[in-house]
Amino acid sequence: MTSPALAQPRPAATVAAAGRWRARLLTGALVAPALAWYVILLVAPIVIVVLFSFGDRGKTGGYVPAFTLENYAGAIAKPEPFFTSLQFSVIGTILCLLVGLPLAYFIATRARKRKALLIVLLVIPFWTSFLIRTYAWILILGPDGIVGFIQDLTGNTSFRILGTTWGVQLGLVYGYLPLMVFPLYVTLERMDRTLIEASKDLGAGRWATFRQVTLPIALPGLITGSILVFIPMMGEYVIPQLLGYGQTFGIGSALYLRFLEARNWPSGSAMAVFLILIMLIVVTAYVWFTNRGRTVRDVSVV
Amino acid sequence: MAEQDLDALLKRMARARVPRRGFLAGSGLAGLSAFIAACTPGASSSPSASNAASSAPSSEPSSGGESPSAAASPSAVAVTETEGTLLMYNWADYVDPDNIEKFKTDFKVTDFTYDTYASNEELLTKLQGGAAGQWDIGAPTCEFVKAMVEGDFIEKLDWSKLPNAALIDPQFQNFYKDADADLNNYHLPKDWGTTGISLRTKVVKEEVKTWKQFFEVAPKYSGRIVVVDSPGDVFVAPLKSLGYSLNSVDPKELGEAREILRAFAPHVLALNSDTYDAQLANEEAVLGLTWTGGIADLVDKPETADTRYVIPEDGTLYWMDTWVIFKNPPHPNSAYAFLNFIQDPAVQAKESETNRYATANTEAKKLVDPKVLADPTVFVPDDVVKSGLLEGAQDVSTDPLRQEIWEEFKSSIGKH
Repeated sequence: MTSPALAQPRPAATVAAAGRWRARLLTGALVAPALAWYVILLVAPIVIVVLFSFGDRGKTGGYVPAFTLENYAGAIAKPEPFFTSLQFSVIGTILCLLVGLPLAYFIATRARKRKALLIVLLVIPFWTSFLIRTYAWILILGPDGIVGFIQDLTGNTSFRILGTTWGVQLGLVYGYLPLMVFPLYVTLERMDRTLIEASKDLGAGRWATFRQVTLPIALPGLITGSILVFIPMMGEYVIPQLLGYGQTFGIGSALYLRFLEARNWPSGSAMAVFLILIMLIVVTAYVWFTNRGRTVRDVSVV
Repeated sequence: MAEQDLDALLKRMARARVPRRGFLAGSGLAGLSAFIAACTPGASSSPSASNAASSAPSSEPSSGGESPSAAASPSAVAVTETEGTLLMYNWADYVDPDNIEKFKTDFKVTDFTYDTYASNEELLTKLQGGAAGQWDIGAPTCEFVKAMVEGDFIEKLDWSKLPNAALIDPQFQNFYKDADADLNNYHLPKDWGTTGISLRTKVVKEEVKTWKQFFEVAPKYSGRIVVVDSPGDVFVAPLKSLGYSLNSVDPKELGEAREILRAFAPHVLALNSDTYDAQLANEEAVLGLTWTGGIADLVDKPETADTRYVIPEDGTLYWMDTWVIFKNPPHPNSAYAFLNFIQDPAVQAKESETNRYATANTEAKKLVDPKVLADPTVFVPDDVVKSGLLEGAQDVSTDPLRQEIWEEFKSSIGKH
């Protein structure tokens, strides 16, 4: 009896080790595709862009290996495109919020039976190409559309929206609004309605309820939506080009010019690295904000 | 690729307001024959002359190839067997749709892909990014052939497979001179035209016959000026108004041009290479630094018949787009078949009539509708050619000062 009993742990350990090994293999196999995707499509391009940003421009364009900081100096010397994009993104995000929050709130709390319909209506534009939707605005805002009508009405022939910052801003808000509405909708939809009733029972007015109950609960969705909207707006190229007639020269236009017109990949890469850094700062701030938000809520629940 | 198709489709949609075809009210101007006779230097070095050929061979099913070939060579034989697929990378809307259909039928090509680029720079950048094997043929502007050969992105053409190359006017085939003459073996001229001034005379009452006058009236039409989004063309205006070469890289001359562009930029409504004609049509823009494309269509339409295209008297650029075969084309036979097919006189004449650009094919020119032939926006009038106003472009896009000025211009349009 003793010898088998003594012998018992060994096979068990072997089995456990083999099982652990197999589990590790399985985990590895399951993670591998994602890892490969991550390395090939995310890490490698960023490494290439960073390497390029220190290089030199070839005689007919492209990239020649070198080590120089000139590209960064050039990017710092011309920060206007960054500020242009930043201005559009910040204003665009705020406008998306102003339009998106009431809309999300309405769908989440007041739409009742029409809720599904409204959600579908929000999604439908995504079935069409982004480019077509943006082109459609050219027709809507063109001289044969709304603007022509306003011109006829007011007699002011110099009035226009296309080719102005307003046209670009409108296009940005239109293009990215759903990305703001959905996260907001999700957080508001899951909101415990009894909290609002409790707030009212305790004598809070509508505004106080919104400020002290609804808004803190919606905060994570609000921040997620803002980030989802802000990041693509920063690098947006198509909308300023089509609706702004190329008059707004943001980072997207500057990158296009450097890569495709000047054929100066290193200079474009340095600019792209700057853009990535800005995004990193924004996302870090986002993580910090959301964590902070969570602590506040935990405390309030206690 | 899908997005590029879509892009082309949208551009076509956007232009659809202006009918692509119509009849021209041209003033009877002589064609280009005198031009061709006047300037035909060094034809002996011309690959087309040395490899000359009959036009469409009997085996080639396309019609109308019965031209009296000046320099027939029995050695050049057209390719008739294709791989059934052709991948073209080209400017949007640049091949007659009927000709494409005809090519597909005649050569049993089932998959004809037409991808588009918006500028030569874009094309070159894609090639530098390693895209050469993705397409069979393309049509860059001729001065970019040099960079493409240096980058090893295009094939030397096998003239023995292109009998119709013999029909090309040597003046155009021999775009490159002297030390660069071998570059002429890499391209087959597609068509050519000018950069000039477009205006709606209904609104712009002043006489605008020169670049100098163009810049003088610009402030008056502030916010109603459209400019093609192409540095090579935009630099033409200030440099020529100052009397310099449009290819200048001289810092002093470029400095003067920069001042003119600085003063001009705030008045520009749009940088638009694709739909400037639509903006002129709806009077968003009434003055333009444009190419000729689409302008003839505006003249045809009663509502926009006041549109005029002016070849500036202080000189301007003539450009030429040219067919090339990319390095290691996936479908070489289709590529050669298409290049020879498109230079068939009847096919090429239709190209000129549809695209409204002048052909470099002498036999095809004889078949072009006389009204189109007489239109100065399509075929440059004889006296203009003789006057020496036209200057061919070199690829000076790599000049750092030009790039700096261009970026400054681009980032300051419309800003007061």
